Parts: sequence; structure tokens; C-alpha cells
Amino acid sequence: MAYYKFCELVVEMDPQFSVLRERSKPYLVPDGPADISLKPAPGYLRRAEESYPHLEAQWLEYMWYATAFYRRLLQYDGIMLHSSAVAADGRAYLFSAPPGTGKSTHTSGWLRMLGDRAYILNDDKPALRFFDKTLFACGTPFTGTSPLGRNARVPVAGICILERGEENRILPLTPQEALPRIYTQTIHTLGEKPMERMLTILEKVLCAVPLWRLYCNISEEACRLAYETMREGKQ
Amino acid sequence: MKLKEGFLLRNMLGMGVVVSIDAATPVEGVITLNDTGIFLWKTMEQGETTPETLVRALTAEYDVDEQTAARDVEAFVAKAREAGLLAE
Repeated sequence: MAYYKFCELVVEMDPQFSVLRERSKPYLVPDGPADISLKPAPGYLRRAEESYPHLEAQWLEYMWYATAFYRRLLQYDGIMLHSSAVAADGRAYLFSAPPGTGKSTHTSGWLRMLGDRAYILNDDKPALRFFDKTLFACGTPFTGTSPLGRNARVPVAGICILERGEENRILPLTPQEALPRIYTQTIHTLGEKPMERMLTILEKVLCAVPLWRLYCNISEEACRLAYETMREGKQ
Repeated sequence: MKLKEGFLLRNMLGMGVVVSIDAATPVEGVITLNDTGIFLWKTMEQGETTPETLVRALTAEYDVDEQTAARDVEAFVAKAREAGLLAE
């Protein structure tokens, strides 16, 4: 077993395969005690293979640990948001959308636009967690198929729902408007108690930071529009 | 007419929000309800019912005429059915 620290939580894991082992490395800490201990039940890989026969064991392991961690995170006032999170000038901007919309493509444009003022905090599944009532986005080893991520925690400047559009346009969203879209982009196969907890955290998240909807094509102009609007935060 | 098992109604952001908590009958999204919808949902949670019963419950609870109540019930039932919340 080894100890890792992300989202300010010490997590105990025993990675067997290279994806999880390599991506967890930046988060290694010398010792526990662990806040969260992640131990799959014997035979879990075999069962996962039945559901996802096209995936290699290392990806099945990686997915199991991601899901297990993000379920446990709910107990610590934290929630996963399926999104690409870019940190710029010390604040995090999250772009959420169903797979294939172009989240990573959009945030990679931010890196070209801002150079070394920006980096990808987590390209697929950043954690959101409150510290002293401020919402932070946290790097984790769980970054989806993309390897892009960083061991850091950054206050959130805004969350944006990304949609493809002919023209670039950004609109503010109310928490009520954002809820159905954000809900589908987090873990929502939960039993009653964890669901109650998840919705409580989600409600707090939606009230804590400005929310946006961006219709965009793939262009530098789209990145500039998003950055300049969300940086101000005024709705 | 009855609600399926495995759903949770919660008040959040000033709305009623219905979500699935049963992995066997997953409903991907959230269904949002206004105050009338919340009342009708809670009435239906008590067991087998009919549109007529719901209309009576609504007129008894709120200051609303029967026609309006019938329209509200019809809209609610259509929404619930479309969202897959009804075990017919």
C-alpha cells in the first residue's frame, strides 16, 4: 500500500498497473494515516471486464479507483465534475459538456492564448471541494484518457457549460438552469443517502460561483471571449 | 396510476427536484417540479391514485377551481409519464 494526497485528503491505494501508478506518482506522500482507503474487492477486474470487454486491465483499474474515490469524496464536502479545468493566473475555469463536445480542445486553446500563465489542472474529472466556504478545484490522478493534470488546488472563478455553435456567444446561467446539465456530468448513480449528500453539495457549488453557457467554434476568439467574460465574473 | 419506486424528491434551489436512486431503473437527468408538482408528487407517493383523486386533492389544498386543477394534473401526469416515473 502507498499513500497519496489530493484534495487535501490522504488516500491509501495499491496500484497494480501503469496508468494509475504513473498518474498517482505526483501525489505520493511518505505515510498515513489515510482519510480514505481504497481497496477493490477480489475479482473486481474480472467483473469489470464483463461490462467493458474492449478495455485493458490497466484502464479498468484506473476507472474503478476514480469512481471509488469520487464516491467517497462526497463525505468530505467534495464532488467530481466531468469537465476540463484550466488554471489561469491562479484561478480555475471549468468547462463541462458531454464527451466529444470539445472541452479539452477549448482549454488547450487557453494554453496557447495565455502561455505560462495557464495550465491544465485536470483535463477530465477535477474534484471540487469547499475549504473555508471557498470552492476550490483540485488536481487528482484521475484525468480520463488524457494524461493532463497537476497536483494543485485552485479557487474556482467559474463553471461553464460548453456547447458547439456557429458563432461564439457566452451567456450567464442561473443555478436552476445549470442544474440539469451539471447533474449529468457528475456521479449520479447513487443510493438514497449519498444522493442526498451529493445534491446538497451540488446546490452549494451552483450557488458559490458564476455559471455560464458558452456556444463556441474552435478558435482563439472563443477562448478570448470565455476568458475575458469569466475572469470578470460579473453576471 | 402509481409512481415507480426508486426516486427521490428533494427541495433544492427553490424547486422540487426528482432524481433516480435505483441503479436498476436509471433515469439520466433531473426532473424539476414547481409547488403544484411537488404537492402532486407527494400525494402520489401515498399509493395508487387516479387523476380525479389528484384534482380533488389539489382543489382541497389550494385556492384553485376544478378546471385549472384538472389542467395542472394533466400536465403533471404527462410530464411524469414522459420522464418514465409512472408505473402505469
